[in-house]
Amino acid sequence: MSLQKDPERTETKYLYQFADFSGKRVLEIGCGDGRLTWQYAYLAKFTAAIDLNADELRVATIDRPSELPVSFARADSIHIPFSKEKFDIAILAWSL
Amino acid sequence: MVHALNEIHRLLAPNGILIDLRPLADNWPGEVKSKRETLKAGRVDDMPIGLEDDKAANESIAHVAAEKLFIQEQEEFFSFFYYWDSPKEMQAYIDDDWADFVSIDEAIWKNIRSTWAVADADARLRVRVKMMITRWKKLGDFAALR
Repeated sequence: MSLQKDPERTETKYLYQFADFSGKRVLEIGCGDGRLTWQYAYLAKFTAAIDLNADELRVATIDRPSELPVSFARADSIHIPFSKEKFDIAILAWSL
Repeated sequence: MVHALNEIHRLLAPNGILIDLRPLADNWPGEVKSKRETLKAGRVDDMPIGLEDDKAANESIAHVAAEKLFIQEQEEFFSFFYYWDSPKEMQAYIDDDWADFVSIDEAIWKNIRSTWAVADADARLRVRVKMMITRWKKLGDFAALR
C-alpha cells in the first residue's frame, strides 16, 4: 500500500505550536495506531493513550519504542480509568 | 460528546490544556502533485454523516464553553495531505475507509485518472484534508459552578 499521511509533518508542527509537552502528563483520546503519539511522547513525562479499536491498539503496542513512557488502554472517552486531575494536557485526536 | 468533554475536564489538572484536533468536512480537493507542479483534479462530495459529526462536535464544545468548563485560547486551520501512488490505490482506500464521510462521482474519478496519466513521472495523487486545531484551557470548578 502506497498510502502516506502528512509526510510534510504539518500536523506535528501545529501540535508543537499549540502545546509544550516537555515534562507533561498527557492523555490522548483516539490514539489509533499511535501515529500521532510518537510525535510528542518522547518529550512528555508520561502519556496515556486510549482508543476503542483493539486492532489499532495492538499495532500501537507492537510499534511502541521501549524507551517511551507510554501506556495504551482500550477505553471510551466517557469513562476514562484515571483519577481526577491526573493530566496536564489532553488531546482529542481526530475523535470529538 | 459533552460527556466526554466533562470527563476530560475531570481528568485535567487546574489550568490544564485540551487540544481538539480534527478534520472538517469541506469538499476536500483532490490533486495530482509532482515536484514541478500541483494539478487540481476535482473535489470530493461530503456525505451527510460527516457534516452532522462536525455539527455535533462544534455544538458540544460550544456547550462546555458556555458552561465555563473551558475557555478557547487559540485556533488555526491547516492542510493535512493523504498521498497515493496511483488512482487505483486512492480509490480502494477511499472506498474502504472514507465511504461514510465522502464520495467521489465517476466524472471526478475520470478527471483524476486522466490528470494523473498525463502528469510528470514522479506525480502522486493526494487529497487535501482541512484540519482544525484548537487549544482550550480548563477553567476551575468554581467557574463551572457559577
